[in-house]
Parts: sequence; C-alpha cells; structure tokens
Amino acid sequence: MPILTLLVVLAIIAVAGYVLGRRRAMASADGDMRKLHSLPSYYGYNAALTGLVPAALVLAVWTIAQPMVLQNNVSDMITTEVADDGALSLIMSDVRRLADGLDTAVAQGALTPAEAANMTAEGTDVRGTLADVGVALGSEVSQDVLGAAQAYRAGSATGNLIKTVLVLLIAIGGTAFALMKTTATFRARNTVERGVMAVLIAAASIAILTTIGIVLSLVFNTVEFFRLYPAMDFFFGTTWQPSFSGRGGASELGLLPLLWGTLYISFVALLVAVPIGLFAAIYLSEYAGPRVRAFAKPMLEVLAGIPTIVYGLFALLVVGPMLKDVFGGDGALGVAWMTGDRSVITAGLVMGIMLIPFVSSLSDDIINAVPQSMRDGSLGLGATPSETIRQVVLPAALPGIVGAILLAASRAIGETMIVVLGAGAAGRLDLNPFEAMTTVTAKIVSQLTGDSDFSSPEALVAFALGMSLFVITLGLNVFALFIVRKYREQYE
Amino acid sequence: MTASPKSSLLTVDARTKKRNAAEKRFKAYGIVAIAIGLMFLVVLLTSILRSGLPAFTNTVVALEATVTQEDYDAAEGQLLKTAAYEALLVAKVNEFLTAQGSTIEVDEDFITDRLVPKTGATIREFYKANPDQIGQPVTFNLPASTRISRYFEGDLLREDVTDSRFLMVEDLDVVDEMIAAGLITTAFDWNFITGTDTAVDNPGGAGIGASVIGSFFMMIVVLLLALPIGVAASIYLEEFAPKNRLTDLIEVNISNLAAVPSIVFGILGLAVFIQFAHLPQSAPLVGGLVLTLMTLPTIIISTRASLKSVPPSIRDAALGVGASKMQAVFHHVLPLAMPGILTGTIIGLAQALGETAPLLLIGMVGYVAREYPDGIISGFVDSNSAMPAQIYTWAARADTGFYEKAWGGIIVLLVFLLTMNLIAILLRRRFERRW
Amino acid sequence: MKDLNLTEKSHLMSDTKISAKGVQVYYGDNHAIKDVNVDIEDKTVTAFIGPSGCGKSTFLRTINRMNDTIDICRVEGDILIDGEDIYDPAVDPVQLRAKVGMVFQKPNPFPKSIYDNVAYGPKIHGLARNKAELDEIVEKSLRKAALWNEAKDRLQAPGTGLSGGQQQRLCIARAIATSPEVLLMDEPCSALDPIATAQVEELIDELRQSFSVVIVTHSMQQAARVSQKTAFFHLGNLVEFGETDKIFTNPEDPRTESYISGRIG
Repeated sequence: MPILTLLVVLAIIAVAGYVLGRRRAMASADGDMRKLHSLPSYYGYNAALTGLVPAALVLAVWTIAQPMVLQNNVSDMITTEVADDGALSLIMSDVRRLADGLDTAVAQGALTPAEAANMTAEGTDVRGTLADVGVALGSEVSQDVLGAAQAYRAGSATGNLIKTVLVLLIAIGGTAFALMKTTATFRARNTVERGVMAVLIAAASIAILTTIGIVLSLVFNTVEFFRLYPAMDFFFGTTWQPSFSGRGGASELGLLPLLWGTLYISFVALLVAVPIGLFAAIYLSEYAGPRVRAFAKPMLEVLAGIPTIVYGLFALLVVGPMLKDVFGGDGALGVAWMTGDRSVITAGLVMGIMLIPFVSSLSDDIINAVPQSMRDGSLGLGATPSETIRQVVLPAALPGIVGAILLAASRAIGETMIVVLGAGAAGRLDLNPFEAMTTVTAKIVSQLTGDSDFSSPEALVAFALGMSLFVITLGLNVFALFIVRKYREQYE
Repeated sequence: MTASPKSSLLTVDARTKKRNAAEKRFKAYGIVAIAIGLMFLVVLLTSILRSGLPAFTNTVVALEATVTQEDYDAAEGQLLKTAAYEALLVAKVNEFLTAQGSTIEVDEDFITDRLVPKTGATIREFYKANPDQIGQPVTFNLPASTRISRYFEGDLLREDVTDSRFLMVEDLDVVDEMIAAGLITTAFDWNFITGTDTAVDNPGGAGIGASVIGSFFMMIVVLLLALPIGVAASIYLEEFAPKNRLTDLIEVNISNLAAVPSIVFGILGLAVFIQFAHLPQSAPLVGGLVLTLMTLPTIIISTRASLKSVPPSIRDAALGVGASKMQAVFHHVLPLAMPGILTGTIIGLAQALGETAPLLLIGMVGYVAREYPDGIISGFVDSNSAMPAQIYTWAARADTGFYEKAWGGIIVLLVFLLTMNLIAILLRRRFERRW
Repeated sequence: MKDLNLTEKSHLMSDTKISAKGVQVYYGDNHAIKDVNVDIEDKTVTAFIGPSGCGKSTFLRTINRMNDTIDICRVEGDILIDGEDIYDPAVDPVQLRAKVGMVFQKPNPFPKSIYDNVAYGPKIHGLARNKAELDEIVEKSLRKAALWNEAKDRLQAPGTGLSGGQQQRLCIARAIATSPEVLLMDEPCSALDPIATAQVEELIDELRQSFSVVIVTHSMQQAARVSQKTAFFHLGNLVEFGETDKIFTNPEDPRTESYISGRIG
C-alpha cells in the first residue's frame, strides 16, 4: 500500500476511533454527560490518539530504517572489487536507481512483474528498456548490480507489506484497547493531556535533535576527511589548492588562507557597520525626536530584511565595478590597486551595509536599557548630552555593545552569499584589501556543489571547514550571549 | 578646591563654548551615520530598480503572417518542421522590405539566429493549438534577440557593432526599417513572470515562474512543519517546562541555533536528508525541511514572546473556574497570543523565503528549472529551483544577459517579501492588544 | 496664593538666592505648576512638601532646567538666581547645572569607581588643573559628604558596590564636587532605610553652612527636622510658604492644616 493511502487509512481509523470513543463514553453514562469524568470529546480524542500515535511512529521509523537495512543486506551481493566505501556508495545509488527504474517500468506496463524480477543483464538490454519508460541510467548494468537491484525490490516489497500490516494492526489494536477502557469513570482528560504533553516535549526537543544532527553530520565527515588528509596540514597549511580528480597531483587544503580571508572581510565589514550602526543607534535613542525615529528606524531595518543574495548581487555588479572605477588601473585615482571587481573591500563593504541595522538595533536596545537615572545624574551635574553619552551611557552599556559586536562578527564570519559572489575564489594570504580573497563559507559552497565525488578529500574538506566555522561562530555566540545576559541582569 | 570665580550665567565662558562645539560635532556624527545608512538603502534600491525593471519588458518584433492549410501541411510533412515556419517568416520580411522600397534581402540565418531566435517552434505550437486560425492573417509578437533589443533600447550603438554570428552590421539597416515602420516595440514580458529557466545561451527567454512555484512548495513545507512544531515547543517551554537541566539545555540550544550560520544548516541538510535519508536532491521538500530547522528558533522566540505577553491573570481566571492547566493554555492563552504568533511566523517565513546559502548545498542551484511540476506530489519531490537559488544561478552564468534577469528576479522576490511583511504589520495593527 | 510677610531678619544670612516669579509649567496640555512665586534664601534648607503629584518635584527640576530634557515640558515665568534669569536664551544649561547641583530620589552612582564618580563633575567643568588638585577636590567632597572615612581605602572600588545610604552620600559628594551654590535634593531619602536616612539628614544640616539647599520630601517629620523654611504645594499651587516651625504649628491655610494633620495626602 503506498504511504499516502496508508496515511489516509490511518486518518480514517482515527476519526472512527473518535466517534466510537465518544459514543461509548456517552453510552456508559446513560447519555448523561454529567456522569462522565471528562468531557465526551476527550474519550474520543483518547481513542483516536491511542490508535494513531503509535502507528504513526512505527510507520515513520520503519520508512526511514527499511532502505538502510535493505541496503546493508544487498551490498553483500556486490562481488566486484570495490576500491573503498565511496565507490560502494556510488554503486549502491546505482542499485537504488535501477530498482526505482524497474518499479517505473512495471507501473507503466513495459515489464511484467515476473520479467522485472527474473531478467538478467546478459539476456536483456536493461538500459534500453528503462530508457524507453523515461528512466535514464548512467552506465551499462552489470549482473551484480541488476541482481542487487532485484533483491532490493523484492526486499522492499516484503518490507512494505509487513509495514502496512503491522501499522494497521497497531492502529486498530490501539483504538480497540482505548475503546475497551472507555467507561464513565475513566480519566480520559488526564490521559489525553499526558499525550499532548508528550507531543509538546517532543516538539521542544527538536532543537536538541537539530544540534545533534549538525554536530554528527560535521563530526563523522570531518573524521573521514582527516583519515584521508592529515589534520595538521589542514589546520596549519598556508596554501589552498584543491586539485580536481584526473589532473594529477595531490591537493593542498590549508585552512589558514581561508580563515584569513574570512577574518579580513569580517573586519572590514565591522569597520563599516560598527561606527555607522553605533552612531545611528546613539542618535536615534538619545537625540532624535519621535518623528525622525519613526521614519529612520524602520528605514534602516529595511536593510536587515533584504535577503543576502541581493547583497551578493549588489557587491558583484554594482559595488565591485564602482570601486574598480575608483581604485582600478584606469580608475579615477589612477592607483591601479584593484585588478578585478571581486575583492576583500567589495565584500567587506557590502557586508558592512548588511550589518548596520543589526548593530544599530542591538545597540539601541542596549543603550535604552541604561537607566534614565544615570543620564539625569550626569545632566544634573552640568554635563552636555554628548559628555553624558560618552562618559556615562556608553561605559555603562559597553559590555552589551561588545556582545552585540561579537554577534555581528559571528554573522559576518558565517555569511555566505555576499562572499560567494563578491569576494573571489582563490585563497590568498595577503594584506592588500583590494585583492580578491576567499573565505571558509565560499569554499564550503564550491567544494560541495558541482560533480565532485562525496568521498574524495576535496569534497570532505567542506565538512572540516564547516566544523571550523561552526566551532568559531558557536564560541563567539556563546560568549556574546553570556556577556549580553550578564549585562541585562545588571539593570534588572 | 579651586574656587571658581564668581561668574555670570548670562555669559558663556570659553570652556562651555568648546564643550558645546564638541556637542554639536557629536550630534553631527549621528546624523551623518543615519544619512549614510539611508544613502546605502537608496543606492541599493535604485540599483535594483534600474537594473531589474528592464527584465519585465522585452523587445518584440510584430510579424504578420498567413499560413494556409497547404503551408501547414507542407511544413508538417518536412523533417525540420520548425524551419519551414521560419522560412515563411523570411518571405514575409523580404516582402515587407520590398514594400518599403529597400533593396536588402534577408536570409533564414538572419531570422533564426539574429532577429527572432527560436521562433519556428512558437509559430508551430500556435497553429497546432489553434487550427482554426489557419488561413487567417495572424500577427505574431516575437521576442527579438538580445543584441537587437539592446540596439533598439539605445544600449548598443551602431559603431560598436562588429560582424558576428549574433549580429551583422548590415542587419541594422533592416532593423532600422522595421523600427521606422513601428514593427519593433517594447512590450511587457509575461514570459519572465510565468516562464521557466532556459539553456545558458538564451537569456532572453528565461523566466522565474517555475522557481516561484518551487519557493511556494518550500514555504508550504516550512509553514506546515515550523508553525505547529514551533508553537508546541513554545507552549511547552513557556507554560509547562519545569526549571531543570533538560529545559536549560533546550533553551541554550534554541538561542544558539538562532545564530548558527545558515550554510551550516545546508551541510546538515546535505548530510542528513540527502546522504543519509536519500531524499531526492534539489527537491522543494528537502529545501523546506532545511529551512524549517533554520526558521524554528526564530518562530519559537517570537511565539514565546507572544505567549509571555498574555497576562497571568487570564491563566488564573481559567484555572479559577476549574479548567486544567492544559485547557487554560489551549482555550485562553493560545487564542489570545495567536495574532502575535502568526505575525512572527510570517516574518520567519519571509526570512526563509530569501535564504539562499543552504539551498546551494542541497542542489537547488545549478538545476535548470525548465518545467513546472506536474502535480502536488511532484511539486514537493521533483527537482526544482527556488527564487533566490534561481537568482544565484543567473548571476553565476557567463552570459551577462542573465544579470538583468537576476535583478528582475530580485524585484519579484522583494515584492513577495514586502507583501508578507505588510501582512504581518497589518495583522499586528489589527489585533494589537494592550493589557 | 499669599506671599507671606517673612520674618527674614531673624535669620543669620537672609539674602535671597533663588527667586521665582509667576512660574507656570506645562506637560503637554497638563498645567503642572500654576503661578508659583517664591524667594529661597541662601545658606538655608528649604523643604517642599505636599501630596504626590502636587508639582513639588516638577518645580524643583525647573530650578536647574532638568525639565529641558523632557520634550513636552514648557516653562513660563521667571526664575532668577542671584538676580539672573536662568531661562534667558543666553544662559547655557550646562553652566547653570554646574552652579545648581542636584541629588536624585534613587541613588544613581555611575558604574565607575568611587573616585571617578566624584571626579566626574570637576573633570567635565575643568575645575582642576592637575591630578593633585583633583585628588584634593575628591577628598574634600567626600569629607563634606561624610563618606571619606568609609571610602578612603577603596576609592577605586565601583561606586555601585556601596550600600544604599553610602551610595546616596556618594551622589551628594558628586554633586558638591563641582562647588555649586545651590543644591537641589529630590526626595533623597525615599530609597533609604532609617539609619541611612538619619545620616543623610545630618549631612543636609551641615551642608547648610555652604549652600542653599532645597529638598523635596514626602515625610513631614523630615521637613520639620532638617528645614528652616517650608513650602507646601497642592495641585500645582504653592499654598503656603514660611518658617518651618510656623507651618507645622500654626498654618494659615486650611489646606495646609488638613495635610499636616493627615487629612489629605
């Protein structure tokens, strides 16, 4: 039974459970609602949920686990010499594609189920047959792969059957069990509420699962990478030069040039965003009248709502050429500092623009958290507003502002689209901000897009880069949030 | 203590003057900072509009043709069916040139490669769909080639043209005749809104329609998952969670996830959904899952703020008449917090809609979204692009003709974002409640 | 409103320091102070009493133009200090506030060291030519504020680490470090416990030697203890002004009597 139909059947069972549960409860109370412990609908919900929830859980787990189990069983059938795990995973994806193809062919009537199960690679032109029904296969099909695909199909057919029967049994059994328990004294509301509470806790735990997912997917692939490429060379290498398979020569995958580019661009971005954002925040919170504030604040926040892809394009097509017109070879200054549109300063400037509202709204909150009594104290002594801000408000707000700047730095380090489009592609350890450099995030993108083989060090390095990025930004965030929280407590 | 000399308040001393000047300077810095910020905004928006609006119009060549039943049958009988229709156009243009008193004669290459590329198929499809029009005079508005439209719009000057397979200098004489006769005009390009992506050699024909649908399906996934999960998680954390280690762990996780770079979520999606769970690459379903995980913290944070703003007296009132805690929350607190929750969700969705980086890693970039999905299921699981991914794809292509499309795509994206934010603002205004 | 015939000659120093004439204060549409006329003497403690919202704090804040920091606030009439109108356009509020110091309801030390808190005023007004002079000002101010003995060993400790009473005395030290001529105190003891209140009250009595002190207070006992002159405000009007003893024992206006005996407030 296809999964969608199964879900519909489950829904029908649940609705039936609700109706029956409710009716049974009313019957047991002789039609007098007041004799029931809970409202009648709770008995209905109880019956519906007792059937639905375990069945849905089993369905979900089974659906995820079945392909993995099958694949494990089937992979023993591949007898061809296999170089490593990566090659095996490629073959396994062929097997899956072939199995899906056979399914399609059977569904469209090009093959009978028996033919699909018994065909041999020597006897039939498998590739041709499948191409006729619109399934393109990359290479000729070997007997091993065909056999594995047939076994895979057989296995998933059996698995699906067992799954369907099991899920339906659980659903019906659960509903029946709940109906049996339904009497006037049964505490249906408490049971339902316990169930709802479990759902709420599960939803809240997704945050933990996400973090675990991130850490595991980074750690496993990073470990894999370090088996193929020495960790010391990665962390302390000063050259970034991935080779593409086939060109010969080993890749040099040093983190330092990427990290340098990342930090340099982030530094330029903060150099733009912090003074502008901070002064804007100071002006808006300390000087501006309500009308200026009502206009300028949302206008600046529009900058924060613009997607980063827009900034990326802005860097590549507007700011880059504009800077080149000034600092390039034929530029207004005639200094020839800049050779291309992409550079540290292009990306940094645009990233700075993006961060202005981030810095200003965070600083605004923090400056407003400084109690008015501080300002009064200073003004009452005859300080001018600017003296008050510089010598009382800002020092008092300093921890919070530092926290805000650290958060902005973490944003800048993790920003992807602007550097992918505006910063350049070559890793370089250089001080010239008009030079193109590349960043950790830009390289994660370039190593994981395209046709590279996921088991090669050139692709796996992206996970090690992701790990470094995650650790750096996490460290910054935790530290910044800690500072900001401490600061808030001070004035609460 | 230095006894300050008895001074009159009515005269401002030198030190105060200096301090007041510093005050003025300081205030000016603030004004300058805001002015710079606003200037950036203006430059950004004008760049977008200036470069993007042309994507919504195209230059069309109006050619009137009458295809008789014999022409149609003859053309359908040929091996290269579209070429036969193009030959009809060649005759048409030559007829026009003679009528104008011109001695130039054009060949098929001019029509198919240089004036209105790939139009034979358009004409054929039209007659196949409208057989009743055979024998009637029909005016076709055919999109002109990139170079000719640039020439028409004045972006390309005759002096700059060198003969190439895309445009010959002498073609411009024909084009001038056609412009003089009003056959070449600018029209709104519906194809950009409704069309699909094209091959890398045809920037003029590219449209954003298919990727809008891709984004739409992604947003459906995000809405269906992030809203219930986010609300459930917030209710637990805000209303029920005991103060313990687990709760603390969840809280710390949420605030950190909110600040994790979006590209890391892309890595998560690639490793978990594609490599591990073998979900289809480039599918809106996977994109939606990744964006759900990414937006959840935002939605949880704003939902908790809305729940927190419902005063405790409401809960007390419900508990006081004998409702269970769960009933108090679901019957009273949640409905009151709903406008705030929806506002937060819409803003979260808008954020997700513009997000690009994670989509790069799950294969939505580089996929050429040439067709619309067949149905609802296909919309979720078949490869497609999404608006920001499509914009990136265009920006990364070598042909600069796609840049205009990328800017145009940005306008479409911003219109969606603006609409969503307006809805959020209206919702907030309409239901804002002061306790 | 009666301007009472004051027995000024009975006082040692009886020259007028602050003179308010027809002062009106508006917060937007709200008429907060209605035509107040009062002469405040030098080297005297003058107490403003009255029920909450009667305008006593508002009037206090007009004396050093702290109301300027509130956008919607508008002041009419004249306030003269030493015969000069402080609302004259030529007057810079910065200079005025150096001359008219202020201590607030809640102790509000800056998040700086004790030393820096006291040195803040002299530094911004440039009252010290060198570090030694600054040290001297700080010591003198702290001594005057009766905080020197408690603070001399921890001058570099943060001012926020002191107890409530010490913080308030620090704020007083901070205010007198700029050597003002008038010291305004807005309910300086309302956030303090009784012991700290007693210390601050004792201090106020000593400050009378050098300054004209104006204190707003909620507590009639306090007004009776520390002040020589008392002004009673009610609903924005200055109802009665005179010798403290007289106000508390033999008030002329029935409203004053009601307040003193606890019927309004």
